[in-house]
Amino acid sequence: MFSIISGITGMPGMAGAKRRTRKPFAGASVAILPLLVSLILAGAAVLPVAAQDKSVPALSATDAARATAILKELDSLDDFSGKDYSALYTIVSEKPGEKQNVSQARVYRRDTKDQFVILVMLPEVNKGQGYLREDNNVWFYDPTSRKFSFSSIKENLQNSEAKNADFTQTSLLDDYTIEAIGEGTVGKYPVWILDLKAKNNEVPYERTRLYVRKDRTMLLKQEDFSVSGRLMRTTLMPKYAELAGKLLPAQILIVDEVNKGEKSQITMAEQSVASLPDKVFTKAFLEQVNR
Amino acid sequence: MNLVIPRIAARNLTRQKKRSVFLGIAIAFSIMIVTVINGFSGAFIRNVSENFAYLMAGHVFVQGSEKTESGKQLSVIRDDAAISAALEASGISSMRVTRTSEASATLIFEGKSTRQTLTGLDIAGSPFLGERLALVSGTWQATTKRDALILSEKVAKKLNVQPGDRLLAEFKTVTGQNNVVDFTLAAISADTGIVGSVMAYANISYLNEGLGLKDGEYMSLGIMLDNLKEAPAAADALYASMRESGLNLFDRDTEKAQSGVSTPFQEMLKSQKSETWEGVRYSVLTIDDIMAQARQIVVALDSVSLIILLVLFAIVMVGISNTFRMVMYERIREIGTMRAMGVQRSEIRSLFLYEALFLALAGAVAGILAALVAMGIASIHDFGMNSPAFLIMKNGHLSFYLPPLRAIGNILIIVVLTIVAAFFPARAAAKMQPAEALRTQK
Repeated sequence: MFSIISGITGMPGMAGAKRRTRKPFAGASVAILPLLVSLILAGAAVLPVAAQDKSVPALSATDAARATAILKELDSLDDFSGKDYSALYTIVSEKPGEKQNVSQARVYRRDTKDQFVILVMLPEVNKGQGYLREDNNVWFYDPTSRKFSFSSIKENLQNSEAKNADFTQTSLLDDYTIEAIGEGTVGKYPVWILDLKAKNNEVPYERTRLYVRKDRTMLLKQEDFSVSGRLMRTTLMPKYAELAGKLLPAQILIVDEVNKGEKSQITMAEQSVASLPDKVFTKAFLEQVNR
Repeated sequence: MNLVIPRIAARNLTRQKKRSVFLGIAIAFSIMIVTVINGFSGAFIRNVSENFAYLMAGHVFVQGSEKTESGKQLSVIRDDAAISAALEASGISSMRVTRTSEASATLIFEGKSTRQTLTGLDIAGSPFLGERLALVSGTWQATTKRDALILSEKVAKKLNVQPGDRLLAEFKTVTGQNNVVDFTLAAISADTGIVGSVMAYANISYLNEGLGLKDGEYMSLGIMLDNLKEAPAAADALYASMRESGLNLFDRDTEKAQSGVSTPFQEMLKSQKSETWEGVRYSVLTIDDIMAQARQIVVALDSVSLIILLVLFAIVMVGISNTFRMVMYERIREIGTMRAMGVQRSEIRSLFLYEALFLALAGAVAGILAALVAMGIASIHDFGMNSPAFLIMKNGHLSFYLPPLRAIGNILIIVVLTIVAAFFPARAAAKMQPAEALRTQK
C-alpha cells in the first residue's frame, strides 16, 4: 500500500528509498497497515487523461542528459531537509464487491531528525491510534490499552504487505538507469516519457515508465512493471499543490492492473511546511491527543 | 512366603462375583479411556510429522541463507554440488532427495484472489507426492506441463477454477522484486486439513524463473529417509559432513533450543536475523525440529489423559472405599473369628489390601485389553486420503501407539489408588477387637 504511495516521486513522504523511510507514509505502511492494507491494493478511478505514446527513440547523449535532469528534479521535489511537514491524508480504497474503505490520518514529519508521527483519524474504530518514529524505531500507541508497543520498521515490514524495497531504494536516479526517453501526451499535456530499468534486483519494480509534464516538471503518470514485464500498477497524479516553492501531488490515484477493479485514491490536504513544536514528536503527544 | 492370606483374598473376591465384576468394570473403563487417549497422542506426532514430511518432501532439510550488501536476507542454495558431495560423504543410505523452492503468492482468477504458498518441485520426479496427495480432478499427467499448478479443493473452490484454467500468481522474487506469472491449473487435490489446504505445488524450474533463481539454484533440499526415526541421526551425520567440507553452517543445537525455551527452527530464524555472514550459510533441520511445537499438543493430550484418569478414578475410589467398608461390616464376625484363631492385625489388613490389589490388577489388565481392541477396531476403518483429518492419520487410517512404559505407569497408578482407597477400611478391620467383633450382630 504505502509502498505504492511512497514510490511516487515528488510527493512528500512518498518518494523512494532511504529517504523514503523517513517519510510519514512510508512509516505509516508499517504502523497503519491494518487500516491501509486495502488502500494499497486500490487504484484510482481512471483519470480523464489518456497517454498517447509515441515510439520511444534510442537514447542519445542529449536525451540522456535531459532525462537525467528530469529525474534529478523529481528526486529533489521530495527533499524537505530543514523543514517540518504536516498534512491530512485521506485514503479511499475500492475493491470489486466490497464496500468502499475510507481511512484518514494526520501526518507530522521532521526529516532532519528522522522523526514522524501519524495519528489515525478514520475509521472510527481505529481513531486515536498513533505511530511515532525515531530513526528505525517505531512505537505504536493504542488508546484503548493506553500502551505503547515497540518494533523496528524492518521487522514490521517483514510481516506486512509493505514493499521491502521501500527501505532499500534510494532515489530514481540511484535505483534506475534510463533506457529511453520519448514524447507523448497525458490528457492535454505534452509529456516526456521515460523508460527506466532497475539498476539492481532489490528495487520493487524491475521497470517503470514515467510521464513527466514538459512545461513544468510534474509527474502525471507512472506505470510499474513486474520482472516478467507485466504492467502491475498505474499511478496518476491529477492534482498538484505548490508548497514552499515546490510542486507536490495533492491527489494520487492508483490502479491495480493485476487485481482488476481494485483502486485507491489518496488525497493530501492541509499540507504545510510550518515549524512544528518539538512536543509533537513525543509519546506524550499521542497520549495527550487522546485525552 | 505365606500365601494363605493372598489365597483367601482371591477367594473372597469370588464370593461376591457381581460386586467384584462391577468394581472391576469401573476400573477397566477408566484405564481404557486413558489408554486410548495415550495411544492416540503416542501416534499423533509421528503421523503428523510423517505426513508433513511427505507434504514438505523430506525428513531432513538443508536450507540456505544469503545476506546481500544491503542487509537483505535471501533464501537460496546456490552451490548444490558442495551439498551433494557432503550428502554422499555423510553415509546416509536409502534416501530420496527433493529440491524445492517456495513463494508466498496471491493467486488471481477472474476478479477473485487468495493468498497461497506455492511449493516448486520436480512433480514428475516426486512419486511420494502422489502417495500423500489425492487428486479430485485433473490428472498427474497434466502436472508434467511446465506451468502446471496443483491446488487444493478449498482454494480451487474459492477461486472458482477448474483444471485447464489459466490463473495469475503475484509474488516477490527472492530479492524482493514484484512479479506476476501465469500458471495453468493441472489438478485439484483433496483438502488435507488446515495446513494442507494452503499448500500448492508447481514445477520448480518454472517457479524458479519467477523467483529470479538461476538454473541449478533452489531454496531447500529435502531428504526423504526410509523411516522418520532415522531423521535425527541422519541430520547429525549430514551436519558433520557439511562442516567437514567447509560449508558455512548455522549452529544446529543451541542451549536455548536444548532447554526447550524455543525450537531449533525458531533459534535458527533468530540467528538469521541477528548474525551477519558472507556468502550462503546453511541450516540443517529435521521435520521434528520444524514440528517441535506440535509436540506441545502431545504434552497437552497426555496431561488431559492424566487428569481424566485422576477424575475418573477419584469417582471409582469413592466406590471402592465404600464397598470395602461395606465388606468389612459384612465380614465382621468372620474377622473376629480369624482374630480369635490367632490371625494378626497386619494379616487382616493385608487380606483387604490383597483383595484391592487383585481387583485393581484384573480391572487394569482388562481395561488395557479393551483399549487395545477398541484401538484395533478404530484403526480398521479407512477414512481415505481426502479426509479433513488426514494429517493426523496414517495412510487414511486412525493410528495408535501405546508406549509400554506408559501402559505400565497407568496400571501402577490404578493399583496404588485402589490400595489407598481400600486402606482405610482395611485399617479399621485390623483394629477390631476379636471379642467385640464376635459379639456384633448383623
